[in-house]
Amino acid sequence: MAKHAALILVTLVLALGIATAAHAYDPSTPQTPWTRLSPDERRILGPLAQDWERLPGFQQERLISSARRYPSLQPIQKERFNERIRDWAAMTPEQRRAARETFQGLRRLPPEKQHELRERWLRERQGNEGRGRPSPR
Amino acid sequence: MNEKDFASKLKPWLDRSANAIGEMQATRLKAARLRAQDAYREPVRILGLITVPAGTAQTIQYTVVQRALLLLPILALIATLGVKSVQERDMGELDAQLLSQELPPDAFLDQDFRTWLSTQR
Repeated sequence: MAKHAALILVTLVLALGIATAAHAYDPSTPQTPWTRLSPDERRILGPLAQDWERLPGFQQERLISSARRYPSLQPIQKERFNERIRDWAAMTPEQRRAARETFQGLRRLPPEKQHELRERWLRERQGNEGRGRPSPR
Repeated sequence: MNEKDFASKLKPWLDRSANAIGEMQATRLKAARLRAQDAYREPVRILGLITVPAGTAQTIQYTVVQRALLLLPILALIATLGVKSVQERDMGELDAQLLSQELPPDAFLDQDFRTWLSTQR
């Protein structure tokens, strides 16, 4: 009996592992036509309407998933989301992955350290803009 | 007549009959004996809640194992779909947070920022 339970457990763990690895970056994910999006999703993802059909399926899926979080955002967050979504979609998958990793790294820091780093980067950017130089890269 | 006398008188008759039994009948008798022994085993306590005869416990065990093996592919499929759904939710959540927080996404690609971050860890 214990042998069978172990077999079931191993199969489940394997299935979970395979699903996790396969879904992280799956180029075979089918595209979702713009017309299949709900009216709310079309409104939120509106800045991407022109480029939508050119986006790969896995990216469309993530954007749709993000759009579903949109209603729970604060007004200022919604504003930022609207401003940034187009540039975000224009990034390469590697850039997005790198940005997510750095963002997650930031979130692991204590709040005061997060604040300090944010302020430092914003000050640096303002300084560069004031001197007519491009933002830090 | 006590039990011992009775057994000694009966034994030759049984032995003589046993010699006359064919192979097929002997096999069937042996199987019946094993079944009887099975049924006579100690009752089994399940999860400390109920006590059932050993034969019933074995039947339950076989049934559960058979069902579990049938359910295995279904469970694997459910697990896969579950993971996919949770991942989609988490990924969407992460991207939405990244796009809506104070710093623009390109800050997270900035080499200076990444260097500062690595020194904080």
